[in-house]
Amino acid sequence: MIFCSDTPHLPEVAVTILSTNMAAPRVCVPGERLFSTADCEAGPGTYVHHGYIYSCLAGYMHKRKTEGKELSIVEVIRQKEDAVPRIGSIVTAKVTSVSGRMCKCAITCVERTTLREPFRGLIRKEDVRATEKDRVEMYKCFRPGDIVLARVLSLGDANCYLLSTAENELGVVLALSEAGAQMVPVSWCDMQCPKTGSKEFRKVAKVQLQQE
Amino acid sequence: MPTDSRRVPGPQDSRSPHWYGKHATRQEGDTRPDGRGDHDLRPVYLHAGVVSQATGSAYIEMGQTKVIAAVYGPREIARREEFTMKGRLCCELKFATFACRRRRQHIQDNQEKDGALIVLQALEPAVCLDRFPKSQVDVYITVLQDDGSALAAAITCAAAGLADAGVMMYDIVAGCSVRQCGERQLLDPSVGEELSQEGESAEDHGMVTVGLLPSLNQVSALTLDGHLQQQTAVQAVKTCIGGCQGIYPILKDCLVTSTRKKIPALDPKSSHASTEGQNGQT
Amino acid sequence: MSSTLGVLSDAERLFIVHGVQDDLRSDGRACEDYRHVQVETDVVSNTSGSARLRLGNTDILVGVKAEMGEPDPGRPKEGKLEFFVDCSANASPEFEGRGGEELAIEVSNALQRIFNSRSTLDLTALCIIPEGQCWVLYVDVLVLECGGNLFDAVSLAVKAALFNTRIPTVVVTADDEGQQEIELSDDPYDVKRLDVDNVPLIVTLSKIGHRHVVDASWEEELCSLARLTVGVTQKGTIAGLNKEGSGSLDPESIYEMIESGKKVGMVLNSRLKEALEKEENSKREKIGFLG
Repeated sequence: MIFCSDTPHLPEVAVTILSTNMAAPRVCVPGERLFSTADCEAGPGTYVHHGYIYSCLAGYMHKRKTEGKELSIVEVIRQKEDAVPRIGSIVTAKVTSVSGRMCKCAITCVERTTLREPFRGLIRKEDVRATEKDRVEMYKCFRPGDIVLARVLSLGDANCYLLSTAENELGVVLALSEAGAQMVPVSWCDMQCPKTGSKEFRKVAKVQLQQE
Repeated sequence: MPTDSRRVPGPQDSRSPHWYGKHATRQEGDTRPDGRGDHDLRPVYLHAGVVSQATGSAYIEMGQTKVIAAVYGPREIARREEFTMKGRLCCELKFATFACRRRRQHIQDNQEKDGALIVLQALEPAVCLDRFPKSQVDVYITVLQDDGSALAAAITCAAAGLADAGVMMYDIVAGCSVRQCGERQLLDPSVGEELSQEGESAEDHGMVTVGLLPSLNQVSALTLDGHLQQQTAVQAVKTCIGGCQGIYPILKDCLVTSTRKKIPALDPKSSHASTEGQNGQT
Repeated sequence: MSSTLGVLSDAERLFIVHGVQDDLRSDGRACEDYRHVQVETDVVSNTSGSARLRLGNTDILVGVKAEMGEPDPGRPKEGKLEFFVDCSANASPEFEGRGGEELAIEVSNALQRIFNSRSTLDLTALCIIPEGQCWVLYVDVLVLECGGNLFDAVSLAVKAALFNTRIPTVVVTADDEGQQEIELSDDPYDVKRLDVDNVPLIVTLSKIGHRHVVDASWEEELCSLARLTVGVTQKGTIAGLNKEGSGSLDPESIYEMIESGKKVGMVLNSRLKEALEKEENSKREKIGFLG
């Protein structure tokens, strides 16, 4: 369909899609000048250049008022943000290999965004839990195939992001037992197989439901 | 010339029959073969979001020149390279083997590598590379049919693809070419005008391609082939910039349309909740 | 390409940018000054023409070999010019293996760009038999050391080598059956030379801060985000132009850069011509190769 050019846009056609009422939010493109910095504050999806706020995404523009601030914040929203892991972001990762000193994993989600392709991550032995760091045994914390919630500690080296599970809410959230059944957490360091009743060691995350 | 052992190549010493035909010479006159004035653009059709697999993509037609671009990423840098706090942009330009008058090879030749570099350097100033440290964005451009100004079309198309992918950019990039034959400046030349030998003997003859960041008024790509006087060269660059500004509204229009289509209008309230939820988490 | 040569600290960067602003660069030059250029021709005996050039710490060796081949079907009455650039691992360990390939392609494309206009070099002079045989000039560029401003140095060296090139005279005779035969002259001094008057030189203008400099050293190259490589002929015609680097330029500054490129390029052309003619006339004894 796209290969027929019978309805080409002529260069002279002017574009007039600039409605400022809130009912139909304005769509802007990268480089579009939005407001002066005297009127608004730059929010996500925008940048400031020579005293003006410009959009740096093709997306919907919103003006948002926060309490205690005089100026409203302008932001351009396209999708849920954080397509690449940043320091401090929570990621979902799948464990790919475990050794005595570290555990390698593939980051599949950053915050709420599912990635198209995984990034490599690494959990070091000392970043598994906050207490008794020297007594950590990697094989009792993770197994390949586990789904882990972790926080990005640093961008790491050229290969891997450094991840940490040293918080109560972080650690293994989904794991299969040796019998292949999905295990149920019983304590912060044990999970039980519903099929055989056997217990396996994991660094279990205390999953909290997010309030919507 | 390296060959690809996995493909069956055409006969090495074959030639296009066009070489043996007469080259059409242009009649003198004020209009060009397609009836345009010297400073008129051809009709442009631009559509973003054509490749469903890609993060972003775009397709452009400028007259008969057809270019498609797909953007993937930001994704992990595949090869082992140094750690960078800045993201990386990679660009590959390929002409389809049947895109030009002569048949092209499957392997990227020098002209394609040169073109890829020009497009890359045209896009780099526009992309906020510091927003995706340690990752790379890949831009793959295929020229399906080359009817002149393919490089300019590739720049415009790749920029539309990047914006469609939601890559953060300071500005979009519009590309445009000018062919100088003697005293005439032909904006957005077709392939016949690019290859015509008219004006070859004149003092000024050449081809100029410019990539422009229209709202910041910065030139991000500039390449000139041929021989031009300084004044003519400056004039040609100015004409190109004018052409880029003519393409800008189309580029903008296309991105607005594709954004509305790709992302159903967000309810302001719900989007607040989601961003605030995120802030609470981090 | 700059990353291969090292890194600069912010303080060093600032020092260079401020210096350029005051028209006083770290090596004492003004913004439009070139470094000292040393050129020597006829340095490799196995070539038809050769030249070695030193520009600051940049060291280039160019050899031109003339061979016979078939002309392009599109241009049957013209000879061919082929450029090959090799970044030797001598210049930087990064160039080892295929490491220098990217830079080499960049340089050879820049050469191709300034040479692909027909008024640059009279290629019809390289024709032997139309649609049959022509001279193919292989211009091989070897980068021995990279001390900044590679493009300008390469174009200077290529022009010097082409000036030095001597192509043996051939005579085409038709025998009784109308078959054409090519005969090479016996006299080694019976040679043809190329007219290099219209061959452009590349002037690279690097934008640093709000000003631009010519002939940037590698430290200055690291401070510059955008460069213009301008081909300039002796008459001041702009022959090929390209923006390089990851930055963008203001249209006004482009026009300024073209103007100063033209100015510097014309001086450079005439200086090179002078030097080459002077060298040719003084039959100086050659002592050693790199001496």
